[in-house]
Amino acid sequence: MKLSSFRYLVRQGFDNVWKNRVMAFASFCVLLVSLLLVGISILFYININVIIGGIENRNEAIIYLNYETPQSRIDEIGETLRTIDNVSSVKLYTGDEALDDYKNKMDDFTDVFESLENEEDILPDAYLIHVADISKMSKTLKAVQEIPDVLNVRSPDAFIELLTEARRVVTIVASAIIIALLIVSMVIISNTTRASVFSRRREISIMQSVGATKNFIRFPFFIEGMINGFMAGVFATLLTWFTYNSLVKLIGRFEVLNVIGLGNVIPYRKIGPIVTLSYVLLGSLIGAIGSVLSTRVHLKYRAANM
Amino acid sequence: MVELKNVSVTYESTGVEALSDVSLKVEDGEFAFVIGRSGSGKSTLIKLLMKELDANKGEVYVNGYDLTKLKKRKIPEFRRTIGVVFQDYRLIDNLTVYENIAFVLRVIDAPRKQIRKRVPYVMSLVGLQDKADCYPSELSGGEQQRCALARALVNDPALLIADEPTGNVDPELAYELVELLQGINACGTTILMVTHAHEMVRHFGGRIINISEGEVVFDEVIGGAEVEAQ
Repeated sequence: MKLSSFRYLVRQGFDNVWKNRVMAFASFCVLLVSLLLVGISILFYININVIIGGIENRNEAIIYLNYETPQSRIDEIGETLRTIDNVSSVKLYTGDEALDDYKNKMDDFTDVFESLENEEDILPDAYLIHVADISKMSKTLKAVQEIPDVLNVRSPDAFIELLTEARRVVTIVASAIIIALLIVSMVIISNTTRASVFSRRREISIMQSVGATKNFIRFPFFIEGMINGFMAGVFATLLTWFTYNSLVKLIGRFEVLNVIGLGNVIPYRKIGPIVTLSYVLLGSLIGAIGSVLSTRVHLKYRAANM
Repeated sequence: MVELKNVSVTYESTGVEALSDVSLKVEDGEFAFVIGRSGSGKSTLIKLLMKELDANKGEVYVNGYDLTKLKKRKIPEFRRTIGVVFQDYRLIDNLTVYENIAFVLRVIDAPRKQIRKRVPYVMSLVGLQDKADCYPSELSGGEQQRCALARALVNDPALLIADEPTGNVDPELAYELVELLQGINACGTTILMVTHAHEMVRHFGGRIINISEGEVVFDEVIGGAEVEAQ
Protein backbone atom coordinates (compact mmCIF):
# COMPACT_ATOMS: atom_id res chain seq x y z
CA MET A 1 0.00 0.00 0.00
CA LYS A 2 1.29 3.42 -0.96
CA LEU A 3 1.69 6.16 1.64
CA SER A 4 -0.97 8.25 -0.13
CA SER A 5 -3.46 5.36 0.09
CA PHE A 6 -2.57 4.81 3.74
CA ARG A 7 -3.21 8.50 4.44
CA TYR A 8 -6.48 8.33 2.52
CA LEU A 9 -7.70 5.32 4.51
CA VAL A 10 -6.73 6.87 7.85
CA ARG A 11 -8.59 10.05 6.86
CA GLN A 12 -11.57 7.92 5.83
CA GLY A 13 -11.54 6.33 9.30
CA PHE A 14 -11.65 9.76 10.95
CA ASP A 15 -14.32 11.02 8.51
CA ASN A 16 -16.45 7.91 9.11
CA VAL A 17 -16.62 8.61 12.85
CA TRP A 18 -18.39 11.87 12.08
CA LYS A 19 -20.42 10.58 9.12
CA ASN A 20 -21.70 7.64 11.15
CA ARG A 21 -21.87 9.60 14.37
CA VAL A 22 -25.04 7.97 15.72
CA MET A 23 -23.59 4.46 15.61
CA ALA A 24 -20.17 5.80 16.61
CA PHE A 25 -21.77 7.39 19.69
CA ALA A 26 -23.52 4.10 20.52
CA SER A 27 -20.21 2.20 20.28
CA PHE A 28 -18.49 4.90 22.34
CA CYS A 29 -21.14 4.70 25.11
CA VAL A 30 -21.06 0.91 25.26
CA LEU A 31 -17.27 0.90 25.40
CA LEU A 32 -17.27 3.63 28.04
CA VAL A 33 -19.75 1.81 30.28
CA SER A 34 -17.91 -1.50 29.85
CA LEU A 35 -14.53 0.05 30.65
CA LEU A 36 -15.96 1.83 33.69
CA LEU A 37 -17.69 -1.28 35.02
CA VAL A 38 -14.61 -3.44 34.71
CA GLY A 39 -12.18 -0.67 35.76
CA ILE A 40 -14.11 0.38 38.86
CA SER A 41 -14.66 -3.24 39.89
CA ILE A 42 -10.92 -3.90 39.68
CA LEU A 43 -10.08 -0.70 41.60
CA PHE A 44 -12.65 -1.61 44.25
CA TYR A 45 -11.17 -5.10 44.57
CA ILE A 46 -7.59 -3.80 44.79
CA ASN A 47 -8.55 -1.33 47.50
CA ILE A 48 -10.48 -3.88 49.54
CA ASN A 49 -7.43 -6.12 49.34
CA VAL A 50 -5.12 -3.31 50.46
CA ILE A 51 -7.41 -2.40 53.36
CA ILE A 52 -7.69 -6.00 54.52
CA GLY A 53 -3.95 -6.43 54.00
CA GLY A 54 -3.29 -3.33 56.11
CA ILE A 55 -5.34 -4.66 58.97
CA GLU A 56 -3.83 -8.12 58.63
CA ASN A 57 -0.35 -6.65 58.93
CA ARG A 58 -1.13 -6.08 62.57
CA ASN A 59 -0.27 -9.71 62.89
CA GLU A 60 1.30 -9.33 66.27
CA ALA A 61 0.70 -10.95 69.59
CA ILE A 62 1.90 -9.99 73.08
CA ILE A 63 3.27 -12.79 75.24
CA TYR A 64 3.16 -11.71 78.91
CA LEU A 65 5.60 -13.47 81.20
CA ASN A 66 5.13 -14.29 84.89
CA TYR A 67 6.14 -11.53 87.34
CA GLU A 68 9.64 -11.85 88.73
CA THR A 69 10.88 -14.15 85.94
CA PRO A 70 14.70 -13.96 86.09
CA GLN A 71 16.52 -12.40 83.16
CA SER A 72 18.20 -15.69 82.20
CA ARG A 73 14.79 -17.35 81.92
CA ILE A 74 13.43 -14.41 79.93
CA ASP A 75 16.27 -14.88 77.44
CA GLU A 76 15.58 -18.60 77.29
CA ILE A 77 11.91 -17.96 76.52
CA GLY A 78 13.01 -15.56 73.79
CA GLU A 79 15.13 -18.29 72.22
CA THR A 80 12.28 -20.82 72.50
CA LEU A 81 9.89 -18.37 70.80
CA ARG A 82 12.31 -17.97 67.90
CA THR A 83 12.34 -21.73 67.32
CA ILE A 84 8.54 -21.97 67.01
CA ASP A 85 7.27 -22.41 63.47
CA ASN A 86 5.54 -19.39 61.89
CA VAL A 87 7.07 -16.87 64.37
CA SER A 88 8.75 -14.30 62.14
CA SER A 89 10.04 -11.81 64.73
CA VAL A 90 10.52 -11.68 68.45
CA LYS A 91 11.08 -8.52 70.47
CA LEU A 92 11.38 -8.04 74.20
CA TYR A 93 9.03 -5.47 75.66
CA THR A 94 9.93 -4.99 79.31
CA GLY A 95 7.50 -3.89 82.02
CA ASP A 96 9.52 -0.67 82.43
CA GLU A 97 9.20 0.12 78.69
CA ALA A 98 5.48 -0.53 78.88
CA LEU A 99 5.19 1.81 81.87
CA ASP A 100 7.11 4.56 80.03
CA ASP A 101 4.78 4.18 77.04
CA TYR A 102 1.76 4.55 79.31
CA LYS A 103 3.31 7.64 80.91
CA ASN A 104 3.80 9.24 77.50
CA LYS A 105 0.31 8.40 76.35
CA MET A 106 -1.41 9.52 79.54
CA ASP A 107 0.00 13.00 80.31
CA ASP A 108 -2.92 13.90 82.57
CA PHE A 109 -2.04 11.16 85.04
CA THR A 110 1.57 12.23 85.80
CA ASP A 111 0.87 12.25 89.56
CA VAL A 112 -0.30 8.68 89.57
CA PHE A 113 2.77 7.52 87.68
CA GLU A 114 5.08 9.50 90.00
CA SER A 115 3.60 7.75 93.05
CA LEU A 116 4.40 4.41 91.44
CA GLU A 117 8.03 5.22 90.76
CA ASN A 118 9.46 3.30 93.70
CA GLU A 119 7.37 0.22 93.04
CA GLU A 120 8.91 -2.70 91.17
CA ASP A 121 7.27 -5.01 88.63
CA ILE A 122 4.13 -2.98 88.16
CA LEU A 123 3.76 -4.38 84.69
CA PRO A 124 5.04 -7.80 83.63
CA ASP A 125 7.79 -8.24 81.03
CA ALA A 126 6.53 -9.39 77.64
CA TYR A 127 7.56 -10.44 74.19
CA LEU A 128 6.07 -8.92 71.05
CA ILE A 129 5.95 -11.52 68.31
CA HIS A 130 4.88 -11.38 64.65
CA VAL A 131 3.68 -14.37 62.69
CA ALA A 132 4.47 -15.11 59.04
CA ASP A 133 1.18 -16.80 58.14
CA ILE A 134 -1.78 -15.07 59.70
CA SER A 135 -4.09 -18.05 59.08
CA LYS A 136 -1.94 -20.19 61.42
CA MET A 137 -2.05 -17.61 64.24
CA SER A 138 -4.23 -19.74 66.59
CA LYS A 139 -2.02 -22.82 66.24
CA THR A 140 1.14 -20.77 66.85
CA LEU A 141 -0.27 -19.11 69.96
CA LYS A 142 -1.31 -22.50 71.34
CA ALA A 143 2.32 -23.62 71.13
CA VAL A 144 3.45 -20.37 72.81
CA GLN A 145 1.06 -20.85 75.71
CA GLU A 146 2.62 -24.22 76.50
CA ILE A 147 5.98 -22.60 77.30
CA PRO A 148 6.53 -22.50 81.10
CA ASP A 149 6.52 -19.02 82.72
CA VAL A 150 4.17 -17.59 80.09
CA LEU A 151 1.47 -15.69 81.99
CA ASN A 152 -0.91 -15.15 79.12
CA VAL A 153 -1.15 -14.27 75.45
CA ARG A 154 -3.04 -11.40 73.84
CA SER A 155 -3.86 -11.30 70.12
CA PRO A 156 -6.70 -10.24 67.86
CA ASP A 157 -6.89 -13.79 66.45
CA ALA A 158 -10.69 -13.98 66.13
CA PHE A 159 -10.75 -10.68 64.18
CA ILE A 160 -7.87 -11.84 62.02
CA GLU A 161 -9.62 -15.09 61.20
CA LEU A 162 -12.67 -13.09 60.19
CA LEU A 163 -10.56 -10.85 57.92
CA THR A 164 -8.80 -13.79 56.34
CA GLU A 165 -12.15 -15.34 55.52
CA ALA A 166 -13.46 -11.97 54.28
CA ARG A 167 -10.47 -11.62 51.95
CA ARG A 168 -11.06 -15.10 50.54
CA VAL A 169 -14.76 -14.37 49.91
CA VAL A 170 -14.01 -10.92 48.42
CA THR A 171 -11.43 -12.46 46.06
CA ILE A 172 -13.88 -15.10 44.83
CA VAL A 173 -16.85 -12.75 44.51
CA ALA A 174 -14.83 -9.94 42.90
CA SER A 175 -13.18 -12.33 40.42
CA ALA A 176 -16.58 -13.76 39.46
CA ILE A 177 -18.08 -10.27 39.03
CA ILE A 178 -15.11 -9.02 36.97
CA ILE A 179 -15.16 -12.10 34.71
CA ALA A 180 -18.96 -11.79 34.27
CA LEU A 181 -18.62 -8.07 33.48
CA LEU A 182 -15.87 -8.76 30.96
CA ILE A 183 -18.01 -11.36 29.20
CA VAL A 184 -21.12 -9.15 29.21
CA SER A 185 -19.06 -6.18 27.96
CA MET A 186 -17.55 -8.21 25.14
CA VAL A 187 -21.00 -9.42 24.05
CA ILE A 188 -22.48 -5.90 24.12
CA ILE A 189 -19.47 -4.38 22.35
CA SER A 190 -19.52 -7.10 19.72
CA ASN A 191 -23.26 -6.58 19.09
CA THR A 192 -22.95 -2.80 18.91
CA THR A 193 -20.03 -2.84 16.47
CA ARG A 194 -21.82 -5.53 14.46
CA ALA A 195 -24.92 -3.33 14.27
CA SER A 196 -22.74 -0.39 13.27
CA VAL A 197 -21.09 -2.38 10.48
CA PHE A 198 -24.40 -4.04 9.50
CA SER A 199 -25.88 -0.62 8.80
CA ARG A 200 -23.06 -0.14 6.28
CA ARG A 201 -23.14 -3.57 4.61
CA ARG A 202 -24.31 -1.97 1.35
CA GLU A 203 -21.27 0.29 1.36
CA ILE A 204 -19.05 -2.75 1.93
CA SER A 205 -20.67 -4.67 -0.95
CA ILE A 206 -20.17 -1.69 -3.29
CA MET A 207 -16.51 -1.48 -2.33
CA GLN A 208 -16.10 -5.16 -3.09
CA SER A 209 -17.83 -4.88 -6.45
CA VAL A 210 -15.32 -2.28 -7.63
CA GLY A 211 -12.39 -4.50 -6.68
CA ALA A 212 -11.43 -3.30 -3.20
CA THR A 213 -9.44 -5.86 -1.23
CA LYS A 214 -10.65 -6.99 2.19
CA ASN A 215 -7.84 -5.10 3.91
CA PHE A 216 -8.65 -1.91 2.00
CA ILE A 217 -12.27 -2.17 3.22
CA ARG A 218 -11.35 -3.13 6.78
CA PHE A 219 -8.70 -0.49 7.43
CA PRO A 220 -11.01 2.55 7.83
CA PHE A 221 -13.25 0.43 10.11
CA PHE A 222 -10.16 -0.44 12.15
CA ILE A 223 -9.25 3.25 12.51
CA GLU A 224 -12.85 4.18 13.27
CA GLY A 225 -13.12 1.52 16.00
CA MET A 226 -9.79 2.60 17.45
CA ILE A 227 -10.87 6.25 17.64
CA ASN A 228 -14.14 5.30 19.37
CA GLY A 229 -12.24 3.09 21.80
CA PHE A 230 -9.60 5.73 22.46
CA MET A 231 -12.25 8.37 23.20
CA ALA A 232 -14.07 5.94 25.50
CA GLY A 233 -10.75 5.27 27.28
CA VAL A 234 -10.11 9.00 27.78
CA PHE A 235 -13.62 9.62 29.12
CA ALA A 236 -13.44 6.54 31.35
CA THR A 237 -10.17 7.92 32.80
CA LEU A 238 -11.72 11.31 33.52
CA LEU A 239 -14.85 9.80 35.10
CA THR A 240 -12.83 7.35 37.19
CA TRP A 241 -10.47 10.10 38.33
CA PHE A 242 -13.38 12.30 39.39
CA THR A 243 -15.38 9.51 41.09
CA TYR A 244 -12.34 8.00 42.80
CA ASN A 245 -11.09 11.29 44.21
CA SER A 246 -14.58 12.20 45.42
CA LEU A 247 -14.85 8.87 47.23
CA VAL A 248 -11.37 9.23 48.75
CA LYS A 249 -12.34 12.70 50.04
CA LEU A 250 -15.58 11.32 51.46
CA ILE A 251 -13.79 8.48 53.24
CA GLY A 252 -11.22 10.97 54.58
CA ARG A 253 -14.00 12.83 56.41
CA PHE A 254 -14.78 9.82 58.59
CA GLU A 255 -11.94 9.68 61.15
CA VAL A 256 -13.29 6.46 62.58
CA LEU A 257 -12.61 4.62 59.30
CA ASN A 258 -8.95 5.61 59.51
CA VAL A 259 -8.65 4.50 63.12
CA ILE A 260 -9.91 0.99 62.39
CA GLY A 261 -7.86 0.84 59.20
CA LEU A 262 -10.71 1.11 56.67
CA GLY A 263 -9.53 4.47 55.38
CA ASN A 264 -6.39 2.95 53.97
CA VAL A 265 -7.31 3.48 50.25
CA ILE A 266 -4.66 3.89 47.53
CA PRO A 267 -4.27 7.56 46.47
CA TYR A 268 -5.22 8.17 42.81
CA ARG A 269 -1.84 9.68 41.90
CA LYS A 270 -0.28 6.26 42.58
CA ILE A 271 -2.61 4.33 40.28
CA GLY A 272 -3.53 7.15 37.85
CA PRO A 273 -0.92 6.44 35.13
CA ILE A 274 -1.61 2.70 34.99
CA VAL A 275 -5.40 3.30 35.05
CA THR A 276 -5.14 5.82 32.17
CA LEU A 277 -2.85 3.57 30.14
CA SER A 278 -5.05 0.50 30.70
CA TYR A 279 -8.26 2.33 29.80
CA VAL A 280 -6.86 3.96 26.66
CA LEU A 281 -5.01 0.88 25.40
CA LEU A 282 -7.81 -1.53 26.22
CA GLY A 283 -10.46 0.81 24.78
CA SER A 284 -8.54 1.34 21.52
CA LEU A 285 -7.77 -2.36 21.20
CA ILE A 286 -11.32 -3.57 21.87
CA GLY A 287 -12.77 -0.88 19.58
CA ALA A 288 -10.42 -1.69 16.71
CA ILE A 289 -10.62 -5.48 17.00
CA GLY A 290 -14.41 -5.38 17.48
CA SER A 291 -14.85 -3.37 14.27
CA VAL A 292 -12.53 -5.54 12.22
CA LEU A 293 -14.14 -8.79 13.44
CA SER A 294 -17.59 -7.41 12.61
CA THR A 295 -16.51 -6.42 9.08
CA ARG A 296 -15.20 -9.95 8.54
CA VAL A 297 -18.72 -11.29 9.02
CA HIS A 298 -20.05 -8.97 6.31
CA LEU A 299 -17.20 -9.64 3.92
CA LYS A 300 -18.11 -13.32 4.15
CA TYR A 301 -21.83 -12.50 3.91
CA ARG A 302 -21.22 -10.63 0.69
CA ALA A 303 -19.31 -13.51 -0.89
CA ALA A 304 -22.04 -15.97 0.03
CA ASN A 305 -25.11 -13.94 -0.82
CA MET A 306 -24.42 -11.68 -3.74
CA MET B 1 -13.62 -11.00 -24.05
CA VAL B 2 -16.39 -13.01 -22.37
CA GLU B 3 -16.81 -16.71 -22.99
CA LEU B 4 -19.12 -19.24 -21.35
CA LYS B 5 -18.76 -22.92 -22.20
CA ASN B 6 -21.65 -25.22 -21.24
CA VAL B 7 -22.29 -23.32 -18.01
CA SER B 8 -24.96 -24.42 -15.56
CA VAL B 9 -25.82 -22.69 -12.27
CA THR B 10 -28.16 -24.17 -9.68
CA TYR B 11 -28.99 -22.32 -6.45
CA GLU B 12 -28.40 -24.77 -3.63
CA SER B 13 -30.93 -23.17 -1.29
CA THR B 14 -33.88 -23.40 -3.67
CA GLY B 15 -32.70 -26.06 -6.09
CA VAL B 16 -33.62 -23.76 -9.01
CA GLU B 17 -31.46 -24.12 -12.11
CA ALA B 18 -30.89 -20.49 -13.10
CA LEU B 19 -28.62 -21.19 -16.09
CA SER B 20 -28.69 -24.41 -18.03
CA ASP B 21 -25.85 -25.44 -20.32
CA VAL B 22 -25.26 -21.90 -21.59
CA SER B 23 -22.53 -21.26 -24.12
CA LEU B 24 -21.83 -17.83 -25.57
CA LYS B 25 -18.93 -15.68 -26.62
CA VAL B 26 -18.66 -11.88 -26.71
CA GLU B 27 -15.56 -10.67 -28.53
CA ASP B 28 -13.42 -7.69 -27.52
CA GLY B 29 -14.99 -4.40 -28.62
CA GLU B 30 -18.49 -5.84 -29.10
CA PHE B 31 -21.74 -4.30 -27.84
CA ALA B 32 -24.39 -6.84 -26.90
CA PHE B 33 -27.83 -6.49 -25.36
CA VAL B 34 -28.91 -9.27 -23.01
CA ILE B 35 -32.68 -9.46 -22.78
CA GLY B 36 -35.15 -11.74 -21.06
CA ARG B 37 -38.05 -11.79 -18.62
CA SER B 38 -37.64 -11.53 -14.85
CA GLY B 39 -36.25 -14.77 -13.47
CA SER B 40 -34.90 -15.82 -16.85
CA GLY B 41 -31.29 -15.95 -15.56
CA LYS B 42 -29.97 -12.50 -16.60
CA SER B 43 -28.96 -11.50 -13.07
CA THR B 44 -27.34 -14.87 -12.50
CA LEU B 45 -25.30 -14.31 -15.66
CA ILE B 46 -24.05 -10.97 -14.31
CA LYS B 47 -23.17 -12.44 -10.91
CA LEU B 48 -21.30 -15.15 -12.71
CA LEU B 49 -19.35 -12.64 -14.78
CA MET B 50 -18.49 -10.63 -11.66
CA LYS B 51 -17.40 -13.80 -9.85
CA GLU B 52 -20.04 -13.25 -7.22
CA LEU B 53 -21.16 -16.83 -7.66
CA ASP B 54 -19.63 -19.93 -9.15
CA ALA B 55 -20.88 -22.17 -11.94
CA ASN B 56 -21.77 -25.71 -10.93
CA LYS B 57 -20.73 -26.90 -14.37
CA GLY B 58 -18.83 -25.49 -17.34
CA GLU B 59 -16.14 -22.85 -17.83
CA VAL B 60 -16.30 -19.05 -17.59
CA TYR B 61 -13.63 -16.76 -19.06
CA VAL B 62 -13.66 -12.97 -18.63
CA ASN B 63 -10.87 -10.63 -19.72
CA GLY B 64 -8.41 -13.51 -19.81
CA TYR B 65 -9.29 -14.80 -16.32
CA ASP B 66 -10.56 -18.35 -15.93
CA LEU B 67 -13.24 -17.66 -13.31
CA THR B 68 -13.82 -21.33 -12.54
CA LYS B 69 -10.24 -21.59 -11.27
CA LEU B 70 -9.79 -18.04 -9.92
CA LYS B 71 -8.55 -17.97 -6.33
CA LYS B 72 -10.44 -15.85 -3.78
CA ARG B 73 -7.52 -13.53 -3.18
CA LYS B 74 -7.33 -12.78 -6.92
CA ILE B 75 -11.01 -11.72 -7.14
CA PRO B 76 -10.39 -8.00 -6.35
CA GLU B 77 -7.65 -7.89 -9.01
CA PHE B 78 -10.04 -9.43 -11.57
CA ARG B 79 -12.91 -7.06 -10.69
CA ARG B 80 -10.68 -4.10 -11.43
CA THR B 81 -10.70 -5.15 -15.09
CA ILE B 82 -14.47 -4.75 -15.37
CA GLY B 83 -16.79 -1.83 -14.83
CA VAL B 84 -20.33 -2.44 -13.62
CA VAL B 85 -23.37 -0.16 -13.71
CA PHE B 86 -26.33 -1.29 -11.61
CA GLN B 87 -30.01 -0.43 -11.91
CA ASP B 88 -29.99 0.88 -8.29
CA TYR B 89 -26.74 2.81 -8.99
CA ARG B 90 -25.01 1.50 -5.85
CA LEU B 91 -23.23 4.74 -5.01
CA ILE B 92 -21.70 5.18 -1.56
CA ASP B 93 -24.10 7.58 0.16
CA ASN B 94 -21.58 9.39 2.35
CA LEU B 95 -19.10 10.11 -0.46
CA THR B 96 -19.47 12.96 -2.92
CA VAL B 97 -19.76 12.38 -6.68
CA TYR B 98 -16.02 13.06 -7.04
CA GLU B 99 -15.13 10.72 -4.17
CA ASN B 100 -17.41 7.94 -5.42
CA ILE B 101 -15.65 8.00 -8.77
CA ALA B 102 -12.17 8.47 -7.31
CA PHE B 103 -12.75 5.54 -4.95
CA VAL B 104 -12.17 3.05 -7.78
CA LEU B 105 -8.76 4.60 -8.50
CA ARG B 106 -7.84 4.69 -4.82
CA VAL B 107 -8.61 0.97 -4.63
CA ILE B 108 -5.92 0.29 -7.23
CA ASP B 109 -3.41 2.57 -5.49
CA ALA B 110 -3.45 5.06 -8.39
CA PRO B 111 -1.19 8.10 -7.92
CA ARG B 112 -2.95 11.29 -6.73
CA LYS B 113 -1.90 13.04 -9.90
CA GLN B 114 -3.73 10.46 -12.01
CA ILE B 115 -6.84 10.69 -9.80
CA ARG B 116 -6.89 14.49 -10.12
CA LYS B 117 -6.65 14.21 -13.88
CA ARG B 118 -8.83 11.20 -14.65
CA VAL B 119 -11.85 11.87 -12.38
CA PRO B 120 -12.75 15.32 -13.78
CA TYR B 121 -12.30 13.87 -17.29
CA VAL B 122 -14.88 11.08 -16.81
CA MET B 123 -17.19 13.48 -14.98
CA SER B 124 -17.17 15.75 -18.00
CA LEU B 125 -17.69 12.71 -20.25
CA VAL B 126 -21.03 11.97 -18.53
CA GLY B 127 -21.90 15.64 -17.99
CA LEU B 128 -21.46 15.77 -14.22
CA GLN B 129 -18.59 18.28 -14.06
CA ASP B 130 -20.74 20.71 -12.03
CA LYS B 131 -21.84 18.10 -9.49
CA ALA B 132 -18.44 17.08 -8.12
CA ASP B 133 -19.22 18.09 -4.53
CA CYS B 134 -22.80 16.81 -4.45
CA TYR B 135 -23.78 13.73 -2.48
CA PRO B 136 -25.80 10.99 -4.26
CA SER B 137 -28.95 12.00 -2.35
CA GLU B 138 -28.69 15.47 -3.95
CA LEU B 139 -28.75 14.07 -7.51
CA SER B 140 -31.65 13.09 -9.78
CA GLY B 141 -32.04 9.45 -10.87
CA GLY B 142 -30.45 10.19 -14.24
CA GLU B 143 -27.51 11.99 -12.61
CA GLN B 144 -26.97 9.15 -10.18
CA GLN B 145 -26.94 6.70 -13.07
CA ARG B 146 -24.40 8.85 -14.94
CA CYS B 147 -22.29 9.01 -11.80
CA ALA B 148 -22.41 5.20 -11.60
CA LEU B 149 -21.39 5.06 -15.26
CA ALA B 150 -18.49 7.44 -14.64
CA ARG B 151 -17.36 5.26 -11.75
CA ALA B 152 -17.51 2.17 -13.98
CA LEU B 153 -15.45 3.94 -16.66
CA VAL B 154 -12.83 5.74 -14.60
CA ASN B 155 -10.59 2.70 -14.46
CA ASP B 156 -10.75 2.31 -18.24
CA PRO B 157 -12.09 -1.25 -18.00
CA ALA B 158 -11.89 -3.72 -20.87
CA LEU B 159 -15.47 -4.83 -20.21
CA LEU B 160 -18.43 -2.77 -19.05
CA ILE B 161 -21.45 -4.63 -17.69
CA ALA B 162 -24.61 -2.55 -17.41
CA ASP B 163 -27.39 -4.22 -15.41
CA GLU B 164 -30.72 -2.57 -16.33
CA PRO B 165 -29.04 0.86 -16.38
CA THR B 166 -32.16 2.48 -17.87
CA GLY B 167 -34.58 0.84 -15.44
CA ASN B 168 -34.95 3.84 -13.14
CA VAL B 169 -34.65 6.76 -15.59
CA ASP B 170 -37.19 8.29 -17.96
CA PRO B 171 -37.23 7.11 -21.64
CA GLU B 172 -35.47 10.18 -23.02
CA LEU B 173 -32.58 9.79 -20.60
CA ALA B 174 -32.53 6.05 -21.25
CA TYR B 175 -31.89 6.61 -24.94
CA GLU B 176 -29.21 9.18 -24.11
CA LEU B 177 -27.55 6.72 -21.79
CA VAL B 178 -27.42 4.00 -24.46
CA GLU B 179 -26.00 6.50 -26.94
CA LEU B 180 -23.34 7.32 -24.35
CA LEU B 181 -22.58 3.61 -23.98
CA GLN B 182 -22.32 3.30 -27.75
CA GLY B 183 -19.83 6.16 -27.76
CA ILE B 184 -17.76 4.38 -25.09
CA ASN B 185 -17.99 1.16 -27.11
CA ALA B 186 -16.67 3.02 -30.13
CA CYS B 187 -13.52 3.72 -28.12
CA GLY B 188 -12.92 -0.04 -27.75
CA THR B 189 -14.66 -1.03 -24.51
CA THR B 190 -16.68 -4.25 -24.70
CA ILE B 191 -20.21 -3.64 -23.45
CA LEU B 192 -22.77 -6.09 -22.17
CA MET B 193 -26.06 -4.38 -21.40
CA VAL B 194 -28.86 -6.24 -19.65
CA THR B 195 -32.28 -4.71 -20.21
CA HIS B 196 -36.04 -5.22 -20.16
CA ALA B 197 -36.65 -2.44 -22.65
CA HIS B 198 -37.30 -4.45 -25.84
CA GLU B 199 -38.47 -1.41 -27.76
CA MET B 200 -35.23 0.40 -27.07
CA VAL B 201 -33.24 -2.66 -28.12
CA ARG B 202 -35.17 -2.79 -31.41
CA HIS B 203 -34.46 0.92 -31.87
CA PHE B 204 -30.69 0.60 -31.50
CA GLY B 205 -30.29 -2.88 -32.93
CA GLY B 206 -27.01 -4.82 -32.75
CA ARG B 207 -26.28 -8.14 -31.10
CA ILE B 208 -29.19 -9.41 -29.03
CA ILE B 209 -28.83 -12.33 -26.62
CA ASN B 210 -32.22 -13.50 -25.35
CA ILE B 211 -32.23 -15.68 -22.25
CA SER B 212 -35.33 -17.62 -21.30
CA GLU B 213 -35.63 -20.12 -18.43
CA GLY B 214 -31.86 -20.25 -18.08
CA GLU B 215 -31.14 -20.95 -21.72
CA VAL B 216 -29.95 -18.77 -24.62
CA VAL B 217 -32.92 -18.94 -27.00
CA PHE B 218 -31.81 -16.19 -29.41
CA ASP B 219 -28.38 -14.80 -30.22
CA GLU B 220 -28.24 -12.76 -33.42
CA VAL B 221 -27.42 -9.34 -34.78
CA ILE B 222 -30.45 -7.32 -35.82
CA GLY B 223 -30.67 -4.00 -37.61
CA GLY B 224 -31.81 -0.98 -35.61
CA ALA B 225 -34.34 1.73 -36.49
CA GLU B 226 -31.74 3.68 -38.43
CA VAL B 227 -30.77 0.63 -40.51
CA GLU B 228 -34.43 -0.16 -41.22
CA ALA B 229 -35.07 3.45 -42.23
CA GLN B 230 -32.34 3.19 -44.84
